[in-house]
Amino acid sequence: MNSVVLILLGVLVYYLGMRFYANFFDRQIIQTNPQRATPARLYADGVDFLPTSKNILFGYQFKSIAGAAPVLGPIIAIKWGWLPGLLWILFGAFFIGWIQDYSSAIVSLRSDGQTFGGISHSLISPRARIILLSFIYFYLLLIAAAFSNVVATFMSNNPNLSLAIIALALSGCLVGFLIYYGKISLVLVTLFGLLIFYLAFSLGGKFPLALSPLGANKMLWLGFALIFSFFGSVLPIWVFIQPINYLSFYIILFGMIGAVLGIILGHPKLQAPAFTSFNAGGLPLWPMLFVTIACGAISGWHSNVSSTGTSRQLAQETDARPVTAGAMFLEMILAIIALTIVSITRAQGRWDILFGEGLDEVFHYLGLPRGWGKAYGPLMIIILAITILHLVIRFMRIATNELLGKKLPILRNPILGTLIALIFSFLLVYTGSFNYIWVLFGSANQLMASLALLLASVWLVAEKKPTRFTFYPMVFMYLTTMSALIYTTFTVLRQAITGLDLAGKPLPTSSVVGNYFAGAIGLVLFIAAIILVYDGLRAYFRYAGGRDEREKGNI
Amino acid sequence: MKERKGIFKTLKEFIYGMAAHDTARFALKTRGSMEHLFILITMGDMLGVPILPPYYSLRLLPYCVPQIATWKRRMLREKDFTDTLA
Repeated sequence: MNSVVLILLGVLVYYLGMRFYANFFDRQIIQTNPQRATPARLYADGVDFLPTSKNILFGYQFKSIAGAAPVLGPIIAIKWGWLPGLLWILFGAFFIGWIQDYSSAIVSLRSDGQTFGGISHSLISPRARIILLSFIYFYLLLIAAAFSNVVATFMSNNPNLSLAIIALALSGCLVGFLIYYGKISLVLVTLFGLLIFYLAFSLGGKFPLALSPLGANKMLWLGFALIFSFFGSVLPIWVFIQPINYLSFYIILFGMIGAVLGIILGHPKLQAPAFTSFNAGGLPLWPMLFVTIACGAISGWHSNVSSTGTSRQLAQETDARPVTAGAMFLEMILAIIALTIVSITRAQGRWDILFGEGLDEVFHYLGLPRGWGKAYGPLMIIILAITILHLVIRFMRIATNELLGKKLPILRNPILGTLIALIFSFLLVYTGSFNYIWVLFGSANQLMASLALLLASVWLVAEKKPTRFTFYPMVFMYLTTMSALIYTTFTVLRQAITGLDLAGKPLPTSSVVGNYFAGAIGLVLFIAAIILVYDGLRAYFRYAGGRDEREKGNI
Repeated sequence: MKERKGIFKTLKEFIYGMAAHDTARFALKTRGSMEHLFILITMGDMLGVPILPPYYSLRLLPYCVPQIATWKRRMLREKDFTDTLA
């Protein structure tokens, strides 16, 4: 099949989803009203609550939700063939993805701009909030482990990119300094930063930097990624994270524009098999595909962005649909682009080289020499992963402070909070298998999505609105994700207890420890999800029975 | 009357939203936090936290009046770490 057809299918679903389904839900079910005051207008403080143009918010929402996952998920899922991944991305985004993002923003919008912690407290139960916040901490830990693993793997496999990544960190800091202290034009500073970066990128092949010639590169680069994140967490955000992420944005943007243009100009045929098997690499298609591809189809992370940042900036209720649903459908197209890139290459083998091989094909149609894409593909993935990684470690440090700081005041120390996050991440990556970490991360992400859909369903029933549009997707996501979680937890714990891998070979001690660690996290997520859904469904049926505890002030 | 924006302005806003909106927002948050800390020190007794003697608070009051409503709301609003996620 021609690769352009995949992109066109994405555009078609974007149009149908926005024009019909999202429009219907927005107007008929939620009944948004442009005259109703939003929290951004009602509580405008110029800080958290700030009415913002919908175009700006659309860009903000898209950038916040589209990290490494919409690119990595489809690449990893190519082992089942491109067709299952494509179908899940299209149907997942159409029936579940956008409605989760949109309804999360609407619930927050109609609840005075409260975040999920506050909403779950008032709508479901006080303990739901504590469990949700603890759940989010483990979810962040799995993101940190998955993405630091990605950075370490790609950096150790591509020593020609080391110079570019180090240049990005240094030029990012320099850009921040020039903007904030030098007060130099943003355009000039941006061009200067990008010039340094691309110079280092082009020289990277001549000066490859391998941290160790003895084959221990991955662990050393893991250390690099975590030290990088340490600075991101403890330094002021404008010194390190923001300027680096700012420059990174352009590097990714250029890569994606090049990829789209290359696919359109070259319109190559898909080379990967449409379907391989229902059990690829020991992982069954259901439920594993549905947690392997999270962002792009549906992702719990989006509900956090919608309910925290975006809902407090929407100037009108009617902006919620183009901003949240629009960004979700655009991310769906991004995932399809990633899927297309790995499907057009003839190369076979490890998922971590397929994206570079595919991008090389695509860049070649633009007239770029062979080899550029092979370097730029892994570079994009490293940058996408590292920009999320240092933010997540920072969030974990803040979460440690908030969750445990009152009981153990020493944990309020930012360095200690950061070190705890880094040690957990390191242990998980050092001892664990990437496949299981990625599946656990995907499971936590999709569970977060089903909890967001549950929260939206509870709110809808409390507001006496039809709930089937969020409730049935929630049931599907919850059952699928819990199955994936049970399967993974059972597999890793069985390996830990028997000391044998899937092929029956003895595991090294570190892997046994890693499997126990991953299994324990899986169990914690499983129990937290059971309690949350039990409380959530009780609240749902309480409201369905006409008892609104919010009005009585009992909660 | 709804404002109609040209394609270039829309694109410019979209790029700005992706590239720099979170940075600008964080700068505003930082400034807001500093200002609110200052008001807490000077006007804390409004929330039952007397820090500065009322004589000085009253002298500073005219400068703080425009922000007092939003300051009180922000100080007393329930927050958790999900507030920092986006």
